[in-house]
Amino acid sequence: MSGPTERNETMLEFTTSQPLTLGVELELMILNRRDYNLTRGSDDLLELINRRQHGYDIKPEITQGMIEIGTAVHSKTSEMLDELTAIRTLLVNAAEKLNLGLAGGGSHPFQHWRDQRIYPKERYRLVSELYGYLAKQFTVYGQHIHIGCPNGDAAVRLTHYLSRYIPHFIALSASSPFHQGVDTLFQTSRLTSVNAFPLSGSMPLVHSWDEFNDYFAKMAHLGIVESMKDFYWDIRPKPEYGTVEIRICDTPLSVDTPVLLAAYAQMLARRCFEEGWNDIRQEHYLTYSYNRFQACRFGYDAVLVDALEARQTSLLEDMLETLNALLPHAQALGAEREHAQLRERVLKRNIDSQWLRGIHESSGSLPEVVRRQSERWMYGEIGRD
Amino acid sequence: MTLFSLQTLALNPLTAFGLILALGVLGGQMAKRIAHLPSVTGYILTGLIIGPSGLGLIQHDLLSEASLFSDLALGLALFELGRRVDLSWLNRERTLLLTSLITSALLFAGLFGLLIAFQLHYAPAALLAAVGMSSSAPILLEITRESHAEGQVTERLLATAGLNGLFSLVAFGLALSYSHFVSASGVESVFLRPSWLVLGSAALGLIAGLIAIRLNAWLSGRQREAQWVLLFAMIALVVGLAEQLAMMPAMALLVFGLATRNLRSGDTLTDPTLLARSSFFFVAFFVATGAQLVPSELMRLWPLAVAFVLLRMALAMAPWALAARSNGLTVKRGALLGLALTPMGSGTQTLMLLVPSTLLASQSSMLMPATLAVLCILELIGPLVSRFALKHAGETHE
Repeated sequence: MSGPTERNETMLEFTTSQPLTLGVELELMILNRRDYNLTRGSDDLLELINRRQHGYDIKPEITQGMIEIGTAVHSKTSEMLDELTAIRTLLVNAAEKLNLGLAGGGSHPFQHWRDQRIYPKERYRLVSELYGYLAKQFTVYGQHIHIGCPNGDAAVRLTHYLSRYIPHFIALSASSPFHQGVDTLFQTSRLTSVNAFPLSGSMPLVHSWDEFNDYFAKMAHLGIVESMKDFYWDIRPKPEYGTVEIRICDTPLSVDTPVLLAAYAQMLARRCFEEGWNDIRQEHYLTYSYNRFQACRFGYDAVLVDALEARQTSLLEDMLETLNALLPHAQALGAEREHAQLRERVLKRNIDSQWLRGIHESSGSLPEVVRRQSERWMYGEIGRD
Repeated sequence: MTLFSLQTLALNPLTAFGLILALGVLGGQMAKRIAHLPSVTGYILTGLIIGPSGLGLIQHDLLSEASLFSDLALGLALFELGRRVDLSWLNRERTLLLTSLITSALLFAGLFGLLIAFQLHYAPAALLAAVGMSSSAPILLEITRESHAEGQVTERLLATAGLNGLFSLVAFGLALSYSHFVSASGVESVFLRPSWLVLGSAALGLIAGLIAIRLNAWLSGRQREAQWVLLFAMIALVVGLAEQLAMMPAMALLVFGLATRNLRSGDTLTDPTLLARSSFFFVAFFVATGAQLVPSELMRLWPLAVAFVLLRMALAMAPWALAARSNGLTVKRGALLGLALTPMGSGTQTLMLLVPSTLLASQSSMLMPATLAVLCILELIGPLVSRFALKHAGETHE
């Protein structure tokens, strides 16, 4: 057990932030335009982009076939879309000069993990040393959504609250049906790579920021973690930003879908805060992994199990019910348009993984699948999906 | 013939191929493990040691028996290099096209001037300078494959090598036309023959590209193995037909690759494993290349050969260093890209066979010896220099 002094040394300070503000991070694929395999291009892209001041958050990721972009803090999702579109323009101009492709999607359909190169940065080197091949297999691409929280207690509550809706986010973003050249039958295969990490899964059942700090202090004292970055949870508090971070989503194929996912998270968070939700209990987590698997495997056709009410329901119905309940929150946030788009997406069962499968079915070629997904991210019309 | 010459065993092509391959692999591995050299250098050194200029274990007729396999390797490499020329990229990125064009022009002018200074006549000087514009497709591809080189320097290196190859063959065709003119050949030899060589070969490559795309689409991506065999078959066909029709196989193959990369639906005709799957052809090719080196010519003409090599390296590095920033590179990486172009066009000796015999006899008995002397240096140092350049450009896999 750690004493009070040790606990203070490892205490995490939760930075206060404006509630319900948003930010997203997107991990993108860097491709060659010959066979659309992943290529080592993050350094070349960054070198070119950084020749001029641009003020955007664009940085390397664990392997060199990845690049990460992040938005500033926004309260309106329309502003977030404007920023993402501007970042896309900047990236596409540089990528065209270097003859590189950029694409969304949760994983590359046919890359071989052993070919990937760890980005030469101390943290990634340490991760690679610790996790061996898992680090290279972590060449998967996700969207992270940050939601501003007033304090640590609110962040803990919101983290538990959102865990109930993880299957929704999975279905809305699923875009990794292929893995190492094979159709997995899953809508998202990316999460299987994440599951392999020992500190993946969900946050333990803590009820307040103080309890969270106790847990963190224990883990740090035991030498298992050094910072929050060492937790690969689906949702985690991010004390330095003052946010809760949803990490479950695949990077969507279009540049505007991330904004819809962020809007959905914002509506849910508002509902959580407005209703003063505090129903934290173990029963909610009894079916967490099962529901998560169902959404990964079947997308909208998943069957969710509610342990408290001991009933099964279809994911599609659950999402529509949730969206109905969220309408007043969407109106309060000025996000009616995003709400309508989400509803339409669900009703049409619009899922990126099926779009990818469709191309594979007609062409029989995985490089062709990647070529089309690259075109969609780089040149896709906003609001078309 | 030595006492131990394998000629006495009357090897058939397959035995010759097997022998070349086995010795090549051993040599390549020794070079790699003991001296940390590229495998390619090991293959070439093996060829040099066992070839006519070395121990004489393999003589010229045995090499020609196995030429089928090395011709295929060259064909595969040129096809792949042609695929690296992406016209839509060049259209967007004119700087790359311009840098390649300037590099080629500088190489031709500089080498031509140097050869004139070394008392070669205009025609042979132009022929050798034209060849000096190009870089060896098999060596560059094998080095990038073996060192897992990836990135902007590698991409631009292979694209510019493809372009320089095309420029070099056109320049060679023109130089050939001039050679016929100065050797007082008829109109047919002056105009028709070089046109047939350049334009006819390009047309053959284009037609092959169109057919391959059609057939590939018909097979569909679900028949990957069949598509691979078809692609291989088409490459073999183009090499064979170009030889039968007395064309330039190099031009036909480069255009074939270029067509499949740039024509509609051609992007489905791709196989990243093409070179890896064909590695045995490449081993045979490099051993045969080594066996054809003639160090005695280098001993005789070393001042010319050394000057040629140094000037060629400088002329390739200078424009790439100067245009580096416009190409999205640092000056250092630009210069290294130019340096990586060092290995000279493979198949140079085959090209020289197209030179009119009258010219060889009358104007320049130095053309072939000079070519062989230059090749002797470049084949041996080329792979090493390219690997060095790519490594220091940060593109190889540590």
